[in-house]
Amino acid sequence: MTTPAAELVGVSQRFGGFTAVDAIDLQIPRGRLTTLLGPSGCGKTTTLRLLAGYSAPTSGRILIDGDDATRTPPEKRNLGMVFQSYALFPHLTVADNVAYGPKMRGVPAAERRRRADEALDLVGLAHLGDRKPKQLSGGQQQRVALARAIAIRPRLLLLDEPLSNLDARLRVQMRAEIRRIQSETGLTVVLVTHDQDEALELSDEMVLMRAGKIVQSGAPRDVFPAPADRFVAEFLGYENFLTLADGRQAAVRPEHLRIVSADAPAGEAVAFDAVVRDVAYRGVDLLVTLEATDPGGHAVRLLADHRADTATGPTPSAGDRVRLLAPEARLALLEPDPTPTEGIS
Amino acid sequence: MSQTVKQGASPAAGHGTSHGMRPRHPVAGTLAVAGYVVMIVPILFVVATAFTAGSTLRFPPEGLSLKWFGEAVAYTPFVEAVVSSLELAVLATGLALLLGVPVTLAIHRGRIPGKGLLEGLFLSPLVVPELVVGLALYQQLMIGLHLDNFTTLLLGHTALLLPYAVRVTGASLALTDPALEEAARGLGASPLRAFVTVTLPMLRPGLISAGLLGFVTSFNNVPLSLLLQTRDFRTLPVTMLDYVQQSYDPMVAAASTLVLAATVVVAVIAERTVGFAKIFGGINR
Amino acid sequence: MRARSSLLLLLLPGLAFLLVGFLLPAVAMLFAPPGVTFPQVLERLGAMLTDPYDLGIIWRTVRIGLIVTALCVVLGFPIASLLARSQSRWAGVLLALAIFPLLLSNVVRTFGWLVVLGSNGVIGQLLTGLGIVEEAPQLLYTELAIVLGLTQLFLPLAVITCYSAVAQVDPGLDEAARGLGASRTRAFWSILVPLSLPGIVVAATLVFAGSVTAYTTPYLLGGSSQRMLSTQLFSYASVTVDWAAASATAIVMTVLVFLVSGISTLVGRKGATS
Repeated sequence: MTTPAAELVGVSQRFGGFTAVDAIDLQIPRGRLTTLLGPSGCGKTTTLRLLAGYSAPTSGRILIDGDDATRTPPEKRNLGMVFQSYALFPHLTVADNVAYGPKMRGVPAAERRRRADEALDLVGLAHLGDRKPKQLSGGQQQRVALARAIAIRPRLLLLDEPLSNLDARLRVQMRAEIRRIQSETGLTVVLVTHDQDEALELSDEMVLMRAGKIVQSGAPRDVFPAPADRFVAEFLGYENFLTLADGRQAAVRPEHLRIVSADAPAGEAVAFDAVVRDVAYRGVDLLVTLEATDPGGHAVRLLADHRADTATGPTPSAGDRVRLLAPEARLALLEPDPTPTEGIS
Repeated sequence: MSQTVKQGASPAAGHGTSHGMRPRHPVAGTLAVAGYVVMIVPILFVVATAFTAGSTLRFPPEGLSLKWFGEAVAYTPFVEAVVSSLELAVLATGLALLLGVPVTLAIHRGRIPGKGLLEGLFLSPLVVPELVVGLALYQQLMIGLHLDNFTTLLLGHTALLLPYAVRVTGASLALTDPALEEAARGLGASPLRAFVTVTLPMLRPGLISAGLLGFVTSFNNVPLSLLLQTRDFRTLPVTMLDYVQQSYDPMVAAASTLVLAATVVVAVIAERTVGFAKIFGGINR
Repeated sequence: MRARSSLLLLLLPGLAFLLVGFLLPAVAMLFAPPGVTFPQVLERLGAMLTDPYDLGIIWRTVRIGLIVTALCVVLGFPIASLLARSQSRWAGVLLALAIFPLLLSNVVRTFGWLVVLGSNGVIGQLLTGLGIVEEAPQLLYTELAIVLGLTQLFLPLAVITCYSAVAQVDPGLDEAARGLGASRTRAFWSILVPLSLPGIVVAATLVFAGSVTAYTTPYLLGGSSQRMLSTQLFSYASVTVDWAAASATAIVMTVLVFLVSGISTLVGRKGATS
C-alpha cells in the first residue's frame, strides 16, 4: 500500500487532568472517506482538530503525506476544514469566502475568481456567488463551506459533524452529495459524526471511538455485523443482548428476532420462550416488547420487529406466550466489556 | 444584553395582545412622565435661555437673539478648551482601543488562568471614584514625578477608558464564532492576517461603540480632569464649570447649546452605525 | 511556549498603562501623599470620623445618595418596564430620549437647573408672577437642588439598567399570571419586580456610587453651604492643600463606594442562589 494520506502515531491530547485523546494510532487511507464515529466526548472532534493543526498533541506524532506535521501551524498544512458551524465569514460574499484560501496563497484575482466559480459549480451554487452567507439557507451555507474548503485544493478534506445542523431530509440529500464530491474529486476525506447511519452510508473506512481511544475500525460491511463489544453494538443500533448457553455474550437486532408459536421447531437458531408485554403499531411493522429468560438463564427484556407480510407465525398480542428464534448467523458475538482503564486499540 | 435591548426597542418584537402605549397603570404612567420631565426639561431651558437678547439668565428670555452664540465662539478660553478637549479625547480613545483590543483578545481567545481576575483588573478604574483617581494622579504624577498636566491627563483618561474598550469590544468578540479565525487559519492565513481579514471586521461594531463611548466619556469628564488643569491646557467642561461659578450670563447657555448640538450629531452617528441603544448595551451588564 | 509569550505581548502594554495611569498612583496616594506619612492620614481620618462638621458632610453625602437612589429606582423602573413591554413605535424613540442624556456633558445637564431653580429662574418667576409668593424662594444651593440635579444625572443609567433586566423577563410570564387571575398590579409586583430585582439592585448600586462621588452637581447646585464629600475633597486638595485631609476624604469616599458595591454583590449572589 502507498503512504497513508495522514497518520497519527501514539497521539495523546490532555487538557489539564482530562485526557481527550489517549495514545491513538490511526492511518487515513488515501483517496477514501474515513469517518470518526462515537458519542459526544469520545475524542473524535479533538482528533480532527489535532489533524487540522488547531491544537498540538500533548504527545505523539502526526504525519501528513509521510512528513512530520506535528508542530506545523494550520495555515501551512493545506487541509480543507468544514466546521460544524460552517464558520463562513459573514462580512464577505459567498464568492469571496470561497476565494479567501486562494487569496491567502497569493493567487491572482482572475484565477481566484475562476477557482471560486469552479468550486461553487461543484456544489451546485455557482449562481449565488454574490450573496452574503446570511442570505443562504442552512443547506446552501453547508455547500459554500465545502466549496471553500475544496477551493484550496487540499491534501485532505476534514468535515466536523457537517450534517448535524441540517434537518433530516436535507441530511440524507447531503450524504449523497458528499459521496458524489468525494468520488468526483478523488479527495481523501475525514468526517466526524455521531450518527451511525451517516457513518455506515458514507464510509469506506469507519473508526469507532470511545473515551479517547479507538475501539474498532474497518469497512462498514465488516464492522456492522461484527461489533467488537457491547458499546459498539449499542452504538450501531443492536437493541438485544443475550447470554448464550456457553456463557458468551451476543447481540441481535430487533429485525432479526423471529416470533413464532410456542411449539414451533428451532431449526438453525437459538430458541427460547418469551412472553409478549407490549405491541406497538409502526405502519410497516409491529414493535414487540418481550420478556424472556435467555439461554444463559438471565431474565431479559427484548425488542423484536414483527412484519406481518413476511412473518410466518401468528400476530402477537400482549400476554401471549411465544417462542423467539435468533438465527445463529445473525448473532453478533461480543468480547467481554473492557475495564475503563485498558484499551483495545 | 445588547440583543435584548434591540429586541425590546423594535416595535415588532414582543408577545401578546395589542396593548400599544395604553398606560398599564396610572401610577406607573405618572412616575414615568415625572421621570422624563426631570431628565429632559432642564436641558430644554438651557436651549431657550441661550437665545435671549438680555444679559441675565432669566426665564422667560428677554427677546430673541443669537448674540450669546457669537460671544461664546469668540471667547478664547472656550475655543482653546474645545481644541484641548478634542485633542485629549481623540488621543485617549485611540490609545485605549490600541491597548484594550489586544487585552480583549488575550482574555477571550487565549487559554490563560485567572481570566476573570484579569478582566476585573482592567475594569477596576470604573470602581474607584474618578475624583479620587484624579487626586492620586495629581499628587503622584504631577507633583511627585513632575509630569506635565497633558501627559498626566492622557494617562488618566486612557486608563479610565480601558474598561470601556475591554468590555465593549469583548462583548463584540464574545458574539463572534471562534471557528471563523480557525477557518481563516486553515485556509492559509497567518495569525496576523486572520486577525486583520476576519476578526477585525467582526469587531467593527464593538470598536465603533467603544470609540464613541470613550470619546464622549473623555470629552465630558470633570471629576478625573478637575485637579489636573493648568493655565496652558484646560479641558472644556472644567472651563465651563469655572465660568459658571464666576459669572452668571447666558454665554454658558449658548456654549451648552452648542455642546448639546454636537452631542446630537454624535448620537446620530451612533444610531447610523451600530444603533444607539446597543452602544450602552455592553457597558453595564 | 510561543503562545504564552504572544499572549504576554498582547497584555503587557495595556497592563503598563493601567499600572502607571491608575493602580500605582492610587495605591501610592494612600501610603505616601506628598510630605505626609500614612499614620498622619490615618490620624486625620480618625479626627474626621469624630468631628461633627466632617461627620455632617459624610452623613449629607450618604443621605443624598440614598434619596437619589430611591428616586431613580422609583422613576426609572416604571419607565423601563413601560418601554420594554410596549409594542408602540414610540417606545424606541422614548428609549433613545432616555439614553441620550448619557452622552451629554454633566455640566450642560446640571446647568439647566440653574436656569430652572435660580433666583430669576423658571420656578421663581412662575411663583412670583402668579402672585403666589412675594419673593422667589431660595431653591438653589439647597439639598433639594442637589437631589434634583443628581436624579436628572443618574436616571438614564437607572432606566437603561432596569430596561435590560425587564427585557429579559419572558412577557409570557405576565400573561400567565394574568390568566391565573392576577390583576395587572398584582402581576407587576409578584412577577415582574421579583424577576427583575437583580437588575434593580445593579441600577441602585450604580446610582448610589455615582451620586456620592459626583462633583459637578454639588459644586454648581450646592455651593459652599451644602458641601458633599466630593466638593470637600476638591477644597482640601486645591484650596487648603491639606494632603492628609484630602487622602482621608478620598478613603472615606472609596470605602463608601466599595461597601455599597460589596453589599450589592452579596445581595445579588443571595438572590441568584435562592
